[in-house]
Amino acid sequence: MTKFVKESWLVLLMGIVFATMLAGAQNSLSDRIRENQIQALNAAIAEVVPNTAATEQMEIGGRSVYKCLDADGAHVGWAIDASGPGFVDRIRVVAGLDAEAQKIIGVRVIENVETPGLGNKIQDPEWVGQYDALDATREISVQKRPPVAGANEIQAITGATWSSVYVTDIVNAIINEIRPELGRR
Amino acid sequence: MADTENGSNLTQFKNGIFADNPVLVQLLGMCPMLAITNTLKNALVMGAAATFVVVMSNLTTSLLRRMIQPHVRILCFTLTIATFVTLADLFLKAYMYEVSKQLGAFVPLIIVNCMIICRAEVVAIKSGVGRSLADALGIGVGFTAALAILGIIREVMGSGSLLGVALFPKAMIETHAWVIMVLPPGAFLTLGVVIGVVNHLRAKRAEGGA
Repeated sequence: MTKFVKESWLVLLMGIVFATMLAGAQNSLSDRIRENQIQALNAAIAEVVPNTAATEQMEIGGRSVYKCLDADGAHVGWAIDASGPGFVDRIRVVAGLDAEAQKIIGVRVIENVETPGLGNKIQDPEWVGQYDALDATREISVQKRPPVAGANEIQAITGATWSSVYVTDIVNAIINEIRPELGRR
Repeated sequence: MADTENGSNLTQFKNGIFADNPVLVQLLGMCPMLAITNTLKNALVMGAAATFVVVMSNLTTSLLRRMIQPHVRILCFTLTIATFVTLADLFLKAYMYEVSKQLGAFVPLIIVNCMIICRAEVVAIKSGVGRSLADALGIGVGFTAALAILGIIREVMGSGSLLGVALFPKAMIETHAWVIMVLPPGAFLTLGVVIGVVNHLRAKRAEGGA
């Protein structure tokens, strides 16, 4: 027993001290980390549905849907927080639809760990801006050539076709599963 | 490996950057090296996080070196490193949220970066605080510099930009960027060439000295 204590007291003490340090750090930083996540979501909602002043959260098909209201309380659009499989890990997307759920206003990728510098270009405003003003009543297709106007398609990132397809899959899931429900709300 | 027993703290610091550079000479820390050097910014943040961890780990180990029982020392090193890596990860998530999302799992993976445990075992467990600190700073700077070199080469050739700022006209980047430089094979190719150059320079220097 004394041999055990003699040889292990330092490890035990280090365990206790380090655990306390980590608990303290977790405690003092967790609010800030959660706030970062909420802020990232709110910033994305404000980008995909401009003029949003307040949101009403609801659950449709297991996804969080935000009914966006402007400063006067008028309904300006829908923001849908959805995720789906990506090339590396799950991709989380916020998509904005207009109040009638006929058009996509914009799409933002808020979480992804796709290949840095390649697949993670899905988060660049320039690429994700291709979804702006697309038709939300039919599926979007992914092409390797520049999109044809009116064809409801986007151009894949060179070298990251799969990441591009996965984002589009999430947007199409919103079009197919969430959009029909929005008209009834 | 250069002599770690003798010489001044300044020499110890310099060795970490040149003679004992963890990436280019000792070939340690290859996992983050290959994974996150596709842009200079990622390389710098990873270098800073690893430097913080190696400094804190060396300091703690050096302060406790007379109390650590030899056969549980690896356990003590791992505990220390894991604690400071978790702190660094929490800090990044709280204050550099965007960057922490980019680096993903690679910050927690600093825990298994053998470069850090190597410094505890080779230097900190048998040296004073001053020398351990000088060593950690040297290794940290050396690691960051090596990552930055790779980051610059890969970002310029692969994305046509540096720190996210485009260096060439957009049309030229789209048609001429080497996508492979951004992908893992680009890391192996660049690393091979850089290590080749470093070895050539070292061989030349050794000849000159003899």
